[in-house]
Amino acid sequence: MLKNYLLTAWKVFLRRKFFTFINLFGICLTLTVIVVATRVADNHLHPKGPEKTNEHYLTIGYLALTNDSHTSTASSYPGYKFMHDYVIPLKTPEITSVFTKSNRISTYLKGKKVKYSMRRTDANYWKILGFEFVKGQAFTQDEFNSGKAVVVINQKTAKQYFGKENPIGQTISIQKKSFDVVGIVKNVPVTEVDSFSDLWVPFTTLPTTAYRQEIMGNFSAMLYHSNLDQLDNIKQEFASRLQQDFVAIDDFTQAISHADNPLQAMARDIFGDPRSFEDYTSTLVIAISIVSFLFMLLPSINMVNLNISRILERASEIGVRKAYGATTMQLVWQFIIENVLLTLIGGLLALLFSSFILSSIEMSGLIPYVEFPFNLRVFLISLLMILVFSLVSGVYPAFKMARLDPVLALKGGA
Amino acid sequence: MLQLNNICKTYQTDKIETSALSDINLTINKGEFVSVMGQSGCGKSTLLNIIGLLDQPSGGDLQFAGQKITSYKDKDIAKLRNEKIGFIFQSFHLIPDLRVLDNVELPLLYRNVSAKQRKQMALEALERVGLSTRTQHYPNQLSGGQQQRVAVARAIVGKPELLLADEPTGNLDSHMGNEIMNIIESLHKDHNTTVVMVTHDEAMAKRTERIIRVFDGQLVH
Repeated sequence: MLKNYLLTAWKVFLRRKFFTFINLFGICLTLTVIVVATRVADNHLHPKGPEKTNEHYLTIGYLALTNDSHTSTASSYPGYKFMHDYVIPLKTPEITSVFTKSNRISTYLKGKKVKYSMRRTDANYWKILGFEFVKGQAFTQDEFNSGKAVVVINQKTAKQYFGKENPIGQTISIQKKSFDVVGIVKNVPVTEVDSFSDLWVPFTTLPTTAYRQEIMGNFSAMLYHSNLDQLDNIKQEFASRLQQDFVAIDDFTQAISHADNPLQAMARDIFGDPRSFEDYTSTLVIAISIVSFLFMLLPSINMVNLNISRILERASEIGVRKAYGATTMQLVWQFIIENVLLTLIGGLLALLFSSFILSSIEMSGLIPYVEFPFNLRVFLISLLMILVFSLVSGVYPAFKMARLDPVLALKGGA
Repeated sequence: MLQLNNICKTYQTDKIETSALSDINLTINKGEFVSVMGQSGCGKSTLLNIIGLLDQPSGGDLQFAGQKITSYKDKDIAKLRNEKIGFIFQSFHLIPDLRVLDNVELPLLYRNVSAKQRKQMALEALERVGLSTRTQHYPNQLSGGQQQRVAVARAIVGKPELLLADEPTGNLDSHMGNEIMNIIESLHKDHNTTVVMVTHDEAMAKRTERIIRVFDGQLVH
């Protein structure tokens, strides 16, 4: 039976080449966009680089100060003083790291000005994130404490500066100061926002200690625990510490900041009221689901129409099959299987196209160091979406046509 | 084999009611070869569709193989059609995307028959109509007469008790028409298959055992 259905489907596809092409084109285009979006989102939420440990830590990268009536609000990245007073003292995290966002700096290489991204971190930073060292190691707690001018660089910088020489022990001049190279790490994609950089130095090497007095600045923090269940406790401890212990600065009586996982951070970025302590994750998930569904719905409606006209041409076949004992449900299945087959072919093409698009993005250098390796989870999600698309576009026409009156169908009409 | 009691069929459109058949009382015995004649639009195809359980009468009752048809539920009717009835249509109605063999196997798909057995039964049916050398052809590679022979093979592959033919020679020249008629006659004789055939052709009708005439939706005696 299934063989007969597949055979018929295949013959119909070949007989109506232009129709099949239009259908496949629509399916392929829609699914390519969805698969690319899924892989990019998955790459963000489940990174393969240093942030692959992101299940185990929360980040703090936002601070809003406000007065009692919320009429005056200032917001930015937190400064070191805020971290020192309210984040570092937290008791629940096993490891807490404080670091700056990456900044573009200029330096001279063989008399030529080049730009790099540089990040200033503490020593704990290397314990939380899963950097892969190609050579050497991270700077130590002692080196950090003493403000030693040491630097970890990525492979690209190592190659540019030192070619094939061993960079360990050599120096790089950064902002007129010489830094000893102590480690080389694999390039980190820019999508991993808390770990991406070309150079990493201890923030104790800053020329002044003025940063220690700043409540607002360009610092972030990571709060790590090996036990995932403790992350909620970390969140709560931070929230209650801010609410209870925050010392007013001028008019600003309240500090709002959040320890979030990547999904929560993304949701807050898109939907969050900065003054609110709510979790917007479910809103984000619902919004993404609705948008994806709508995105699939429009081409589906188009497919429904195409499918009806395609099946209508086969009214005589429906009539014959019914006359010879096919039940309505058997015909429904036949048409659904045909549609699933067509969508699966479109889906496979979409998977190929999306891989091509993503590898083109990787190679273009548009997003520095980004990689989209094949991922079974994304593949399965994509397959599920393909199936949903196929059912949404195939079930209604199948039911409509399978219920044709056999006498009318044999006359060739609906 | 078949008993129709006071069968009528009306078609209802917005305000107009059209009567296609009224008060049909008819008995067709097992093993009989009957032809149905009448002018175009007189209701003979409607009658055939009702006998073939493709259409539901508006009134009256129908007994099929000693069993009164009380339910026109899709599943029950489909099973009966599949096991007891074979159809031959004027315009063949072969599925263009399937090879001859697959077309003939079609009725067996809706039965619990293994693929091997399906193939064997289809080959036997094709042999019966003299087309065993054309099993891998597509319908459009065959002449009209050959296509109708494939349709006959499809109708008999499931060994039905009742064969319904709606102008089976209507689209064929007289030579081809005679060939088809010969096949249907021999099936009737060899297997005692009951045959009801709608035709316009008096010569064909005369070859059957009984002619039923329909005029304006009623039987003419």
